[in-house]
Amino acid sequence: MASELALSARGVRMEYRDRSSDTRLVAIETMDLDVADGEFVSLLGPSGCGKSTFLKIVNGLLTATAGEIRLRRNGKGREDAMVFQDAALFPWYSVLDNVAYGLVCAGVSNAEARKRAEPLITLVGLGGFETKYPYQLSGGMQQRANLARALAVDAPILLMDEPFASLDAQTREVMQAELLRIWNAAKKTVVFVTHQIEEAVYLSDRVVVMSSRPGRILADIPIALPRPRALEVKRSAEFTAYAAQIWQLLAGQRAPAAAAPES
Amino acid sequence: MATISVGSSPLARPTPRMIRLVRSNERLFYGIVGFVVVGLVWEAAGDLGLYRKSLLSTPSLVLTAAIQDFGSGAIFPDLRESFVEFSLGFFSALGIGIPLGLLIGTFRRVDHFVSLLLFGIYSTPKAAIAPLIIIVFGIGLESKVIFVFLLTFFSVIVSTVAGVRSAAERHVDIARSFGASRWLLFRSVILPSTFPFILTGIRIATGRALVGVIVAEEIAANAGIGHYIELWGAFLQTSKVMLGVVILGTFGIILGEGVRRIEKRYEVWRQEIH
Repeated sequence: MASELALSARGVRMEYRDRSSDTRLVAIETMDLDVADGEFVSLLGPSGCGKSTFLKIVNGLLTATAGEIRLRRNGKGREDAMVFQDAALFPWYSVLDNVAYGLVCAGVSNAEARKRAEPLITLVGLGGFETKYPYQLSGGMQQRANLARALAVDAPILLMDEPFASLDAQTREVMQAELLRIWNAAKKTVVFVTHQIEEAVYLSDRVVVMSSRPGRILADIPIALPRPRALEVKRSAEFTAYAAQIWQLLAGQRAPAAAAPES
Repeated sequence: MATISVGSSPLARPTPRMIRLVRSNERLFYGIVGFVVVGLVWEAAGDLGLYRKSLLSTPSLVLTAAIQDFGSGAIFPDLRESFVEFSLGFFSALGIGIPLGLLIGTFRRVDHFVSLLLFGIYSTPKAAIAPLIIIVFGIGLESKVIFVFLLTFFSVIVSTVAGVRSAAERHVDIARSFGASRWLLFRSVILPSTFPFILTGIRIATGRALVGVIVAEEIAANAGIGHYIELWGAFLQTSKVMLGVVILGTFGIILGEGVRRIEKRYEVWRQEIH
């Protein structure tokens, strides 16, 4: 694995002004994070811990109050592409046009974008569904298309914002295994946001555990499970140990204070 | 009717053609049945002397009037007049209302600039300014078109603005995330999100435009279906009055149904964004 950094965040802080009380709400307290090239890192934490906010800051959808984010430039196109949460496809576009959308945004002609989208549709296992519309697809298939759209722009970093959160347990497992297969084939750096412990452990090289609001990093745990990982690994003793360790961390976090609303 | 088995299952009895035809056009079929039933009741009530035929006419008398006026062609100039008024007023309302609605929905400043003005005109009962319109534009085509325009324009704008505002934040975020230009954001997100709302606006506008045509013609006109109704009403020719009403109703149904069909094509994903 290359030691070069794909992403480097220093002192990232996010505050919101609460208009009703005119107080400042701290979503993220100061966050430093390095992600190596080709690494799969999960940000894990309870709802409202600022993990999705951090991802949006990296993506440029939000501007941090303070701090610095550096992405490794690859000289062409975008450095990062976002895989959004559920229902993130345009319902008025076919699968093909949805997957091609990022390329169209980058100024690629419609015809060329569609041509380049094709192999990614095949890669995520949606071959034959190009002309279907999102409402004709299952939740899992929609998230495959969502992933293909992010892959199509060929950015070295994938930012994934709880992409499997709304899927049923079986589909989620299938998608997790699929994601590892695709990650392996596409050679991307992944920052994966989730609130599910076992999902984070199964997928990641490192699990970054965050506290509830204000969000900050509690622990950065390297996952030394061998790759490629079959789903059976979830029943291994090592896996269970990792999951228990993280569970302990988060359980210690369950403060008596009122639960913060989801960001 | 002979029973011919076509299904692979011996239990599957083929459905007779008539029933299949009815099933596939259920809405239309029962609609027509409802129409016929009410017509028959109306006719029978007239024949039984439950009301005076000279006041409320009967379907058969309306039909007689229709044969007479369509046969002689006497009603055609009125039909054409109303149709032209409707079309000009309605389509100019769409042509100006939709782009203006898109602008208002997209640009805050445009909204601030025109919304008070528009709301002022919108809140004014149009009948209140009808006399003024007639004084300025006369009793000819122009005043009718303007009246129809005023009645329909706002429902188109209001729906279009609501459509632009309905664009889901997550869809806008997707466009921004991939670096879409403002124009691409508009084309790929705002416009498709707005489209179903525009159709709803159009559906409401068709009804209002029809009202506009008739009200304007009844205030002052020398041609048109409203004028026809008004004229024959003055002569107590209620069958012809009813004929005018039936023509309007039919026109309204056809228009409404047309827009509904277009709407239906977008219903599938429309539910998804709300």
